[in-house]
Amino acid sequence: MATTELPLPALPEAHHEEPGGIVDYLTTVDHKKIGVLYMVTAFAIFLAGGVLALLVRVELARPGLQVMGENTFNQVFTMHGTLMIFLFAAQVSTGFANYMVPLQIGAADVAFPRANAMSYWLYLFGSLIVFSSFFVAGGPAAVAWTAYPPLSTEYFQGTGMDLWIIGLAVVGIAGILGAVNLVTTIFRMRMPGMTMFRMPLFTWGVLVNQLLILFAFPPLTVAFALLFLERNFGAKFFSAAAGGDQLVYQHVFWFFGHPEVYIIILPIFGVISEVIPVFSRKPLFGYRAMVFAFFAIAALSFGVWAHHMFTTGAIYLPYFSIMSLLIAVPTGIKVFNWIGTMWRGSITFSTAMLMALGFILVFVNGGITGVMIASPPIDFAVNDTYFIVSHFHYIMVGGLLFGMFAGIFFWFPKFTGRLLSERLGRWQFWTFLVGFNLTFFPQYLVGLDGMPRRIADYSIERWEPANLASTIGAFLTGVSVLFFIWNFLVSIRRGAPAGDDPWEGNSLEWATSSPPPHHNFHQLPEIRSERPTFDHRHRGDPAFAAAHSDPERG
Amino acid sequence: MQPRRRVPAARWLAVTALTLAAAGCAPQSVTEQGRAIHNLYNLFLYIAAVVFLIVSGLVLWSVVRYRRRDDELPTQTHGNTRLELTWTAIPFVIVLFLFVATLQAQNKVLDPVASPALKVTATAFQWSWRFTYEGTGAEVIGTPERVPELVVPVGQTVRVKLESADVVHSFYVPQTLFKRQAIPGITSEFDLTFEKVGLYHGQCTQFCGLQHPDMVFRVRVVTQGEYQTWLAAARRGSAGQPGT
Amino acid sequence: MTDEAAMLLRVSVFGFAAGVVYWFLSYEPLGTVALLLLGAGPGFAGLVLLQEQRQRGGTGETRAVSLRRLAGIPPQDPPGPRDLEAEDLGVLPLPTIWPLAASLGVAMLLTGLIYGLWLVILGLGLLGYAGWGWLAAVNRENRYGRIQADTTPPSPQSGPASDPRPHPDPAPPPETPAHP
Repeated sequence: MATTELPLPALPEAHHEEPGGIVDYLTTVDHKKIGVLYMVTAFAIFLAGGVLALLVRVELARPGLQVMGENTFNQVFTMHGTLMIFLFAAQVSTGFANYMVPLQIGAADVAFPRANAMSYWLYLFGSLIVFSSFFVAGGPAAVAWTAYPPLSTEYFQGTGMDLWIIGLAVVGIAGILGAVNLVTTIFRMRMPGMTMFRMPLFTWGVLVNQLLILFAFPPLTVAFALLFLERNFGAKFFSAAAGGDQLVYQHVFWFFGHPEVYIIILPIFGVISEVIPVFSRKPLFGYRAMVFAFFAIAALSFGVWAHHMFTTGAIYLPYFSIMSLLIAVPTGIKVFNWIGTMWRGSITFSTAMLMALGFILVFVNGGITGVMIASPPIDFAVNDTYFIVSHFHYIMVGGLLFGMFAGIFFWFPKFTGRLLSERLGRWQFWTFLVGFNLTFFPQYLVGLDGMPRRIADYSIERWEPANLASTIGAFLTGVSVLFFIWNFLVSIRRGAPAGDDPWEGNSLEWATSSPPPHHNFHQLPEIRSERPTFDHRHRGDPAFAAAHSDPERG
Repeated sequence: MQPRRRVPAARWLAVTALTLAAAGCAPQSVTEQGRAIHNLYNLFLYIAAVVFLIVSGLVLWSVVRYRRRDDELPTQTHGNTRLELTWTAIPFVIVLFLFVATLQAQNKVLDPVASPALKVTATAFQWSWRFTYEGTGAEVIGTPERVPELVVPVGQTVRVKLESADVVHSFYVPQTLFKRQAIPGITSEFDLTFEKVGLYHGQCTQFCGLQHPDMVFRVRVVTQGEYQTWLAAARRGSAGQPGT
Repeated sequence: MTDEAAMLLRVSVFGFAAGVVYWFLSYEPLGTVALLLLGAGPGFAGLVLLQEQRQRGGTGETRAVSLRRLAGIPPQDPPGPRDLEAEDLGVLPLPTIWPLAASLGVAMLLTGLIYGLWLVILGLGLLGYAGWGWLAAVNRENRYGRIQADTTPPSPQSGPASDPRPHPDPAPPPETPAHP
C-alpha cells in the first residue's frame, strides 16, 4: 500500500450492509450480527431445554411413572442439563459480549472477525450434532450431564453418547476460539483514552469470563477425549479392573465444571453492574473493588473443584472447604456494592431494573446455600439430593435468567431501535418471581428430607406436595417466558422508537445510534472516566466539570 | 409517609425469614456422627438467615426510600474505601469462623473409632445392595424388588466398608445425614453409631443407570439381643433374606 | 507494567501458589498439575506482554492503530469527528463464507471419528479448502485494502476465487466510485 495520502473514495453501495437476508447472515463477520445469531440460537436451545424441564416436572409431580419410562426420564434430564449448561448458559452471555464489548470499548469490531464467525458456526454445528443424538438408535445420552464413567463408557453403547461427546467437543473449540478473540479484543482494541480501569463493568465481566474459558475448557476437552477413547478405542483410563482410576475423570471434569458455573454467571454480574447504576442515576459504587472481586472470584473458582467430590471420601477436604467458603467474600463485595449503588440514588423501576433486583434477591439465596454446602459435613447430608438441585437452580435459573432478562430489556433498544413493552415486562417479572420460587424453594425442603436427585420416581408419599408445588411453579415460569416471547414479537415490529440513549446510559454503546451503524460509531466522544456517555451528556454542566468521575481517585 | 411503609415491610421480612429458616431445619439425626452435622447445619442456617435478612432488608429499603421523585441527579458517590474494607473483613471473619466450626464437626463425623463393634462390607451393584458381615458368614443380598435390610445393633459402632461392583453408586441413609460414594476399585470406610432403634430408609443417590430410583435399602437398628438372634439365624443361612 | 500484564501475572502467581500449597496438603497429582498449569498459562501470556512493552518502550501500539497504519490511513489523535466509517471499513474484513465452511469441516472431521474415516477425510478436505480460501481472502484484503478489494476487478490471485458476491459482469466494475 502506498504511504502517500490516500484519497478515500466514496464507498460503493455494498458497504452499507442491509439487515437480514440468509446470505448476509451466512457470510457475516460483523460482531453485531454474530451476537444476534448467538442470542437467537441460545434462546432457541433454552426453550428446548425448558420443555425438557417441564417434562421432568410433569413426571415427578406425583409418585409413580405416569408419563414416561425410566430410560426416557434419564435421557430427558440428561439432555436438559446438557442443553442448558453446555449449549445455552454460556452462549447467551457470549451473544451479549459479541454485540456489546466492541461497542463498549469504542472499537469497530473484534480483533478477529472471521474467526468470530467461525466460533458461532462451530457452536451451531456442535449443537446440531448434540441434537442429532435424539434421532439415532438408542436415543440421546442418559448418563446425566456429568457423564461419569464407567456408566458413560461401559454401559451405554449407543451412538447417541458418542454424538454427545463429539458435539460438545466442537462447542468447546468454539468457546476457546471465541475466548482468544474476545480477550485480544479487550486487551488490544480499546479506543484511545479508554484505559483498562475506564472500561465498563460488563466488559470486565466478559474479560474474566473469557479468561476462565481459556483455562477451563481444555480440561473439559481432555475429559471428553478420555471418554471417547475409552468408549471407542479400548482405552482403560477409568476401568478399575484394568488398573484405571475413576477419580481421574471426576478431577478433570470438575476442574472444568466449577469454573464453568462462574463462566456462566460472571458476565451476568457485569450486566447487573451496568443496569443498576443507570437506573439509580449514580455511578457504580466501588468500581475498583468490583474489578478486584471479579478476579478474586475467577481465581478462587479454579481452586474449589473437588467440593463436587466431597462424598467420594478420597480428597483433602479442608483445602476445598476453605477455598469454597472464601468465594463468598468477593461475591459479598459485589452484592454490597450493588446495594451501595442504589443507596441514596434515584431509582426508576424499569423492567430491566426489576429484573436486576430480582437477581440480587434470588442470587443471594443461592449463594447462601452455596456457603452451606461448602462445608463438607453439610454436604455429606445434602449432596446429590434436591437441596443441591435447588441451590444451583437458584443461581443458574434465578441468577442467570433474571440477569439475562435484565440485559435483554436494557439492550433490546440498542439492538433494534425499539423499546420492549414495560407492561408486558412487569407481567413477566412478577410471574417469573413467583413461579421460580414456587418451583425451587420446595426442592430445598424435600432435599433436606432426603429426596435424591436424578430419580424418575419416588415412593415416599410425603415428598409429593413439594413436588406438585414445584411442578406448578415450573409451569408458571413457563408462562413468564411466554410473556417475554409475546413481548418480543410485538415490540420488534411495533415497539416505541428508542432513539440512541433511551435510559440515559453511561457506557459508549449509548453514544451511537440504535441499532449502531456497520462500523459502530460515526464519531467517538472523549473518554475521561468509566462513564463516557454520561460525561458527554453533562459536558456543558459546570457542576460536573471538576468531578471527572475518575475511579482511580476512589 | 415513609415510616408507615417501612415498618410493615421490615416485619414482613422478619416473619418470612424466620418461617423459611424454620422450614429449612435439617432433620434430626439418628446417629452420633449425624448429630454433629445437624448442629453445624443449624449454625450455618441461622447465620444464613441473618445475612439474607440484612441483604434483602437493605435492598427493599433502597427500593422504597430511594425511588426517583424528581429529575435531580443524586450525589455521584463513587465509593468508600472504609466501607469496602469493612464489608470485606466482616464476611472474611465469618467465613473463618464457619471453617473452624466445619473442621470440628468434620472430625466428629469422620474420625474412625478405635475398635468398631462390627464391620460390614456393603457392595453396591446395579441395582441393589449386598451386605456382608465380616467374620460371620452372614450376608444379605437384595434386588430392586426385594429391599435388603442392613441389621445393626443400637449404640454400637458399625464400620461400613463400601465397594462397588460396577458403576459409581452412593450409600445414603437420610436420617444419618451422611453419604459416601461407592467407586469401583476403591474401598471406602466410614463409621456409623446408631443411637435410636428403628427402621431407616436408605437409597442410592449417585445416578447409576436405568433402575437407579429403585436401588433402595433399609437400615434396621435393633437392640443388642435382637441383633444376636438375627445374626445367629443369618449365619445359618436361613436369614439371607431381609426381614426374616 | 501495563494493567493487562499485571492482571495476568497476579493470576499466575495465584495458580502457582495454590498448586504448591495443594500438593503439600493432599499429594494429589492431578489437581496439582492442573493448578500449576493455571499458573503457567497466564504467566506466559503476562511475560509476553511485558517483553513486548519493553521492546516498544511503552504501552505499545494497539492492533487497530497498526492496521490503520498498514492500510495507509493517516493517524489522528485525539479522536474526534472524522470519517470513522471510511477508515474503519478500511480495516474490517469483507463478508465471507469461509468461516462457515471451515466450521463445517471441523464438525465433519470430528463426527467422522464416530462414523468412519471417509467422513474424517471429507471434513479434512473441506477444512483445507476453506482454510485456503480464508487465507487467500486475508492475503488479498491485507494487500489491497478492503475498499480496493471490492472495487478492483478480480486479479490473478493464489487460491480459489472467494468473492461471495461475484460480479454479474466479469468486465470492469459497473460504476467508477467518485473521488472526494
